[in-house]
Amino acid sequence: MPDRPEQRPDEPAAPPVGAGEQPAPPGEQPVGRGDQPVRRIVIVGGGTAGWIVAGVLASRYPRRGEDGVAITLIESRQQPPIGVGEGTWPTIRATLKQIGVSETDFLRECDASFKQGSQFVKWVDASDSDTYWHPFTLPADYADRNLAPYWLEGLPQAGFAASVCFQTELCSQALAPKLITTPEFAGLANYAYHLDAGKFAPFLQKHCVGKLGVSHVYDEIVQVQSDGHGGIAHLVTKSGDLLAADLFIDCSGFAALLIGKHCGVPFRSMKDVLFIDKAWAVQIPYRDDAAPIASATVSTAQSSGWVWDIGLTSRRGVGYVFSSNYLSDDRALEELQAYLAARGDLSSELSFRNIPINSGYRQESWVGNCVAVGLSAGFLEPLEASAIVMIELSAKSIANLLPGCRSGMWQAARIFNDTFRYRWERIVDFLKLHYVLSRRTDGRFWIDNRRIESIPDSLREAMDYWRHHCPWHEDFSHREEVFSAASYQYILYGMGFQTSAAPWLLNDDDRNRAREALSETARRATALSAALPGNRDLLTRIRRYGLQKI
Amino acid sequence: MVNLVVLDSRTHRNVRVAPRPSREWAEINVVSVVPREFPRLVAHYPIFFTKSAESGRFEPAVLLGFQRTENLFFAHGRWDVAYVPLQIQRQPFSLMPRRGAGPAGSQPSLDVALDLDCSNIQTQEGERLFLDDGAPSKFLQDITSILSALVSGSREAYEFTGRLAELNLVEPVRIDVEFVDRSEAKLEGLYWIAAAALKALPAAQLAELRDRGFLEWLYFQMASVAHMSGLVARKNQVLSGVTAARRPEGGNAGPA
Repeated sequence: MPDRPEQRPDEPAAPPVGAGEQPAPPGEQPVGRGDQPVRRIVIVGGGTAGWIVAGVLASRYPRRGEDGVAITLIESRQQPPIGVGEGTWPTIRATLKQIGVSETDFLRECDASFKQGSQFVKWVDASDSDTYWHPFTLPADYADRNLAPYWLEGLPQAGFAASVCFQTELCSQALAPKLITTPEFAGLANYAYHLDAGKFAPFLQKHCVGKLGVSHVYDEIVQVQSDGHGGIAHLVTKSGDLLAADLFIDCSGFAALLIGKHCGVPFRSMKDVLFIDKAWAVQIPYRDDAAPIASATVSTAQSSGWVWDIGLTSRRGVGYVFSSNYLSDDRALEELQAYLAARGDLSSELSFRNIPINSGYRQESWVGNCVAVGLSAGFLEPLEASAIVMIELSAKSIANLLPGCRSGMWQAARIFNDTFRYRWERIVDFLKLHYVLSRRTDGRFWIDNRRIESIPDSLREAMDYWRHHCPWHEDFSHREEVFSAASYQYILYGMGFQTSAAPWLLNDDDRNRAREALSETARRATALSAALPGNRDLLTRIRRYGLQKI
Repeated sequence: MVNLVVLDSRTHRNVRVAPRPSREWAEINVVSVVPREFPRLVAHYPIFFTKSAESGRFEPAVLLGFQRTENLFFAHGRWDVAYVPLQIQRQPFSLMPRRGAGPAGSQPSLDVALDLDCSNIQTQEGERLFLDDGAPSKFLQDITSILSALVSGSREAYEFTGRLAELNLVEPVRIDVEFVDRSEAKLEGLYWIAAAALKALPAAQLAELRDRGFLEWLYFQMASVAHMSGLVARKNQVLSGVTAARRPEGGNAGPA
């Protein structure tokens, strides 16, 4: 049995540490004491965030019992999961591997499919040929050489992504990123997943509780007790239990029970930058068992937002995210229905769900001994599927920063907050970039999105720089950027941004190598599209046979 | 090209099959095998595991050469070892699921099919498939039993390799060889028993492998790898222009 960090207030939380120290008197837990070990972790909330955090921490710190780490997840049966976010980033493969689940089980139980990037339709000028790709595989030669200036000077016929990355060809044919003989979590092209969030959390829960020794409690929190030193001492539950811990992780979603309601950390709205504040979501059945499953998220711009279209193995998830300042719910629903009708997917059986979106984040997600992960920390519109990757990054950072004693908590919090403030800012910049580069003039939503006062300074300055310099590694300062220079290149040049690179900074050697890289890309695209099975074909075979671990 | 037709005692009453080995199915460097052949294969061939292109599952296979169509056991129109894998012996026959037969979800009935484009098929010489009264000949009966041994053998093979994979007893092996003329071969996509994992296997699981008959198969595989040096020697002989000596026991590779 793993320990549960529940305790009576008159019992010491852990054996006293250090010679000569006495347990604190009843009722006065020395929770804030500097040399107190950090070994009891309570996670509040059992959605995607809660279980990813539980899985990452429990697999990184597998020792339980008296000399180990106790991890308890408490969730309310009342709180239905939001369960819309279905797109991930390739980081999810390392995360799932770290947690220790099998890719076969994950694909089967979460109705997951392979995602190799995003396709943007009608984002630039809304013409019929208006589409570009943001694939997960990096541009050719990316480690050594910046191909962008040479692609730009070559007046190429094909789009930027198709020229520098073989993966767009795989996406446009709805092919899988791997073969049935490719081991779990490995690929011939970089990939992530589309998943059913409603099935993902229970899948992780089963593994965390069954294999990793995470304690799971269904209860409601009725009170949060401060420790008198700027931290949380314990939670009081509806059934009368006390949950004491050294670190509390708030994964309670928009409710933000600890970080918001208790700690009072303000939420910084981003609605002046990112205008999306509502969504209509719907699930679309496949017409038959043979209908192709797209291996990219398709994002199609509309009058006042955009429609996501995601293929799982069981169904498609489609939705329209829009701005209520520019469009009423009714008109938005009509646009979504028109999108479906144009594809022959509109029927009277569909049920449309209206979801509010509040773009923004908390500037501090770690306060005292409480850290927020997931929607409680922030949410930005789902344009580049940043929600789950931010959960993974947070879980990894907490695992890496986890201090041995309470005295280290402040430093860990400071580093975490600096890192994540930076990450939120970069995501905001990157999402906004898609709107700033649009040349659509068919609605105020698009025109207003380009108004200078809605563009963060950091993005404006970067874009000025990129007028004469193609984005490259050193433009970004952090070790682990959410969106690297590669992503910026795909969006900028996919949307027709012009960089006039200074000719004296280009040279023939690089130019020749760039040319070789482009022809090699075309060769690989042809070879791989001949070798790879369709996304649906491979997923069906995995359902039947599974993938090998090696 | 392969032109498979279901065998029929009337249509194919006069068809004869020359029981001689044919290049058509010898020019291949990996042949899938079934565990029940291991005791005989282990005398000649290195046995590995490969992944099925259809299912990705591991299946046992013997390695015959270092290039895609190189079979170092086949020279001068014949196999020069005493035992030829069932997968070769069955040629040019195979089994085809019967169309529309049986309730949904049940194992489909199988019919014996013949590759009509095979050059061994004729009407003058060779083994008859059917007697004058339409009954199957001894030759055809032998073929049928080889085919059914392959069907049940393949089921056993997947049970075997599936369990090995679950127990993490399979690992990839990379083969890099340099031959006498300094040319090199690198083979990928081969797997073998992870000896270290086997040594560390808990007693209960070891007993389970023994009880299911897997343990001896597993050791046959491990022992068979010793034939890799023989395979390299065969290749070196070919490269040095030395004709592989015909062994006295190297007879025809017809159905045993």
